[in-house]
Amino acid sequence: MDEARKDEDQQLVARTQEGDASAFDQLVVKYTPRLYGLVYNMTSNHEDTNDLLQDIFAKAYKAIRGFRGKSSFYTWIHSIAVNMTLNFLKKRGRRFQLSLDDVDASIQNDKEFIEATASSSPVREADLSELQKRLNEAMMKLSDEHRAVVTMFHIQGMPHAEISKILRVSEGTVRSRLFYANRQLQNYLDEFRKNPVT
Amino acid sequence: MDEFNDNEITKLLRLKRYEQPPAGYFENFIHEFHRRQRDELLRQPLWRICVDRARDFVISFNLSTLTSYPAAVTAVLVCAAVISLKIYQTPQPATVAAKDRPVLVVPASTEPEWTLASPVATRVFNTRSLRNITESAKTHRSGTPRYVLDSVPVSYETTFKF
Amino acid sequence: MLARLAFFAAAASLSAQPGPDSATTISREVKDVFERASKAVVKIEATDQHGELSGTGFFVDPTGTLYTAYSVGGEAENLTVEFKGKKYPARQLLADIRSGIAMLKVDLASPALPIGNSDQLEIATPVVAIGYPLDLAETPSFGMIAGFDRKCFGGYFPTKHLRVNLPPQRGEGGAPLLNFNGEVVGILLYSFENNSCYALPIEAAEKIRSDFMRFGEARYGRIGANVSEAASAVEGSRAVTKEIVKDTPAAESGMKPGDVVIQIGRTKVHEPEDILDASFFLTAGDVVPITVIRGNEKLTFNVEAASSRPPLLAAPSLNNRAIPLNLQSAPEGTP
Repeated sequence: MDEARKDEDQQLVARTQEGDASAFDQLVVKYTPRLYGLVYNMTSNHEDTNDLLQDIFAKAYKAIRGFRGKSSFYTWIHSIAVNMTLNFLKKRGRRFQLSLDDVDASIQNDKEFIEATASSSPVREADLSELQKRLNEAMMKLSDEHRAVVTMFHIQGMPHAEISKILRVSEGTVRSRLFYANRQLQNYLDEFRKNPVT
Repeated sequence: MDEFNDNEITKLLRLKRYEQPPAGYFENFIHEFHRRQRDELLRQPLWRICVDRARDFVISFNLSTLTSYPAAVTAVLVCAAVISLKIYQTPQPATVAAKDRPVLVVPASTEPEWTLASPVATRVFNTRSLRNITESAKTHRSGTPRYVLDSVPVSYETTFKF
Repeated sequence: MLARLAFFAAAASLSAQPGPDSATTISREVKDVFERASKAVVKIEATDQHGELSGTGFFVDPTGTLYTAYSVGGEAENLTVEFKGKKYPARQLLADIRSGIAMLKVDLASPALPIGNSDQLEIATPVVAIGYPLDLAETPSFGMIAGFDRKCFGGYFPTKHLRVNLPPQRGEGGAPLLNFNGEVVGILLYSFENNSCYALPIEAAEKIRSDFMRFGEARYGRIGANVSEAASAVEGSRAVTKEIVKDTPAAESGMKPGDVVIQIGRTKVHEPEDILDASFFLTAGDVVPITVIRGNEKLTFNVEAASSRPPLLAAPSLNNRAIPLNLQSAPEGTP
């Protein structure tokens, strides 16, 4: 995480602690898109994600007076988000509903999307969309903790060290969970390839 | 060689970054946040709002300076006076709602939530859980605990080494 | 003569009667084991980062030492044990993520389950588990040994695990697996498919307990050799040393890549997977004889195992004590 962002966060936190609610608003605006991605990929449900995000920020706002800055705000808010989401998932159990939001049009411009569609084993756009759908299903079959690390590492692009701080486990545990989850996802997609009609 | 090696999985996962909520969601989020904050504030009892306000007032003075302490105490006393006056003057406000704010979907205390995997018949045996237990330690628990039985190992090996 | 005839007639009629049927016998055996052993099996409650949890454990000595699953007692706090209708606070002695178990302590005089021998188990040996499913009282389950597995879900168990055809239920993580002598042969850890489960052999748990008594922690040993599968067997073994890690006891002992491992300590090695068990039971500081085939020679190295570096599956903290994870509320104490 870059220093400029850290500094800006520190200032906004300090102002919030002094009673400037608009400073907290800026933090909300700044972190909502990131946290949306994190929570949504763990829950796969937009409504639940929305409720959770509201609660996450509400909790953060209540607790921010006690925030001493020993970790970055980034780590702190992600900790709250991950733990509230895991608690929620535990209560929700396996009765999930896949609510697949429309993939944003910007995906067309993504370098990796273009590469994937133009690769030597050409994957047509429709096939890719089907793969994405299967991947979502496979993600939901992972345990909540495994899905959390996959989301943070692969989708959010967080380094192992950051994930380790947020989850309060060792980096070894993070790597081991990632390895296991990758294998599981690979297995599910392989099975789909063998039995494409479900 | 597997078509879906780790690199493929990784690429597919990275594409998920671009899954977005409906248009306008983020713009609207902060307004919804304000609305919920206001709702919660209105649901709090008056005394609680006053305590919070007094605390904010005190904190804003930077407590390391003792000179602000009398001001803080004064603020609390003034607040208390206002509250008692209000309560005395007005009828019970209908807006003070004691209900919990609507948070997540799951209610606070529920019957044990059985998943599809657990046979419904086990509900019948719930009465067996009323054993005679004298709690000799401070162990009061609320809600339903997670009954532990892992379906995957907590760790595993990937290579052969000794 | 008449008396003798009467005697033989009586004997004949007795032998013609069917003996007690197998189902009755089994039921009696299971009941017997349950009645003797259930006194030492306890319900464990605790809180971890996800909230409250409930599982099973059992006493193994008269001073309140008990085993449970890592997922029950490994990363939890506010541990309590329900014994004879009362709840007692418990503290964690050790949590070992590699084996998947935790050891707790309750300050009371406890009954203890005798320790059995999982090496004597065979496919179809009957076993009994006693656990606390869901919010129910102590409950016996009956099943049989279905296999001895090393592979799991794309990886390998840290040591061979017992696969048992016994339907486990949530809350039974940490339950003892007993033979018909009422001795513990395993610790129930993982469910598998719908009606099976995996148990850690009791010897693996006892290794951890022995380490704890000697050193205060689990102390795995490492020699420093990586092994892979050879194309053909040499003296019955396909486990060939692929790499000798430098600055390790293996390197110092003179072992070389290409050495075919045939025995480590008492464990005979036939394939790379056998290394897992041998590796698990190594203790840092202990000297272990390692026999290899190099060319036409059979060589034995007496190697002192070093401390195992944190593997992929790291223990949560330096002393193998779990860091209490209580992130239910916002970290107001601040990381």
